Amino acid sequence: MFSDSILNFLIDDIDSLTEIQTYKGVFYVLITAIFFFLYMKKHLNKLRNAEQQLEVHKNNLQHLVEEKTKDLDAAINKLSKTNAALNDKNEIINDQNLKLKKTLKALKDTQSQLVQVEKMASLGILTAGISHEINNPLNYILGGLTGLENHLTDEKINDEKVNLYLNSIKTGVSRATAIVSGLNQLSRNKDTYEEDCDIHEIIDNCLTILNSQLKRKIEIKRQFADEIIIVTGNVGKLHQVFLNIIINANQSIEDKGTITLSTVITKENVYIDIADTGCGISKENLSKITDPFFTTKEPGQGTGLGLAIACNIIHDHKGTISFKSALNKGTNVKIVLPVKSHKNE
Amino acid sequence: MNKTKILYVDDEPINLMLFEANLEKKYHVLTASDGLSGLDIINSLDDIKVVVSDMKMPVMNGLEFIQKARKVSPHICYYILTGFEISDEIQQAINTGIIRRYFKKPFNINEISSEIEIVINGTCK
Repeated sequence: MFSDSILNFLIDDIDSLTEIQTYKGVFYVLITAIFFFLYMKKHLNKLRNAEQQLEVHKNNLQHLVEEKTKDLDAAINKLSKTNAALNDKNEIINDQNLKLKKTLKALKDTQSQLVQVEKMASLGILTAGISHEINNPLNYILGGLTGLENHLTDEKINDEKVNLYLNSIKTGVSRATAIVSGLNQLSRNKDTYEEDCDIHEIIDNCLTILNSQLKRKIEIKRQFADEIIIVTGNVGKLHQVFLNIIINANQSIEDKGTITLSTVITKENVYIDIADTGCGISKENLSKITDPFFTTKEPGQGTGLGLAIACNIIHDHKGTISFKSALNKGTNVKIVLPVKSHKNE
Repeated sequence: MNKTKILYVDDEPINLMLFEANLEKKYHVLTASDGLSGLDIINSLDDIKVVVSDMKMPVMNGLEFIQKARKVSPHICYYILTGFEISDEIQQAINTGIIRRYFKKPFNINEISSEIEIVINGTCK
């Protein structure tokens, strides 16, 4: 309106005025258009910037997720590794546990063997003392008997009854002497394995010692080689082995039966076979009979240590021991020992 | 003819009596009840051929006695007669020649007299 008044004042010509007014209109429109254009442009720019920023944020976010996923994967990996390590450790612990159990068992076995050794040692001291004390009175009896026999010969007395009595005394003395000597040999508490061991003498000694225990209905068959067989080792311990096996054979025979003891000699070894016709050992038990503490006997009848110790003793003599058995038929124990020498009896 | 002299040492009188009784026909048996009196006899007589001694005796045991006796009369044959089984000590004495061998109680008179017969004509060194 103000420009209109200025125009009205400056221009008088109506035509010119109209023309100018037209230009003015166009001019206003143009100005408005320019302002609008600038305004729109500015807003569009803002919009574009926002969009770009959004894109950047989006990218960032994706990146972040990827990174986090990676971290998570790593953590999982680590965890599973730790788990595996834990499993390994667990296995090691189990292993060690097993080893400990074995060691404990070995310790127990050794302990019981030690007890046995200690027992044998005290038995040795005891029997050595007792046998010395018994051997002296036996000396009186045998010396008296010898004197009496000489006296009777001198006096030319030959009475059948007197001879009968004298022979009973003689038999008694020689049996008592054999028992004392056998006991003494059994309980010899030497630890060396350098003695000369006469196998036949040892087995016979064991039979003498066990004479009262061997049931009357049991027949003992001796099938020995004709030679004197000498093995290098420990006399007392070998007694222990044969005593144990003969006692087992004896206990396995319920009523009537036979125990056969045989020896066969080759150039290097002696094969000792002890067979009984007893109740036998079942297949499942046969593999366990040399395990310490394994026994099928009534409590108090056996410790389950006898054969375990016998096995050790035979191994200490560089020999082998093996068992064959059939239920209700009998058991066969075979011992092989290296011989030092053998000569004809 | 003079009988061969043998000395038996044992602390039990019955053993001494029986040893003497069973061998006196063949030999002149002297007895002593301990090592000291045994040594006295060895010192006083120089024609003893054989000495047999018990092992377990008071004061000195058989081997101690024999070792002392050996210094005086090394030519005598010495033996141990014991109720014990052979011990390391006795085995060593046999190995080193201090005694010829050992006999066990109850004694076998025949075994002892046949051993005496073997050595009677020689000496033990």
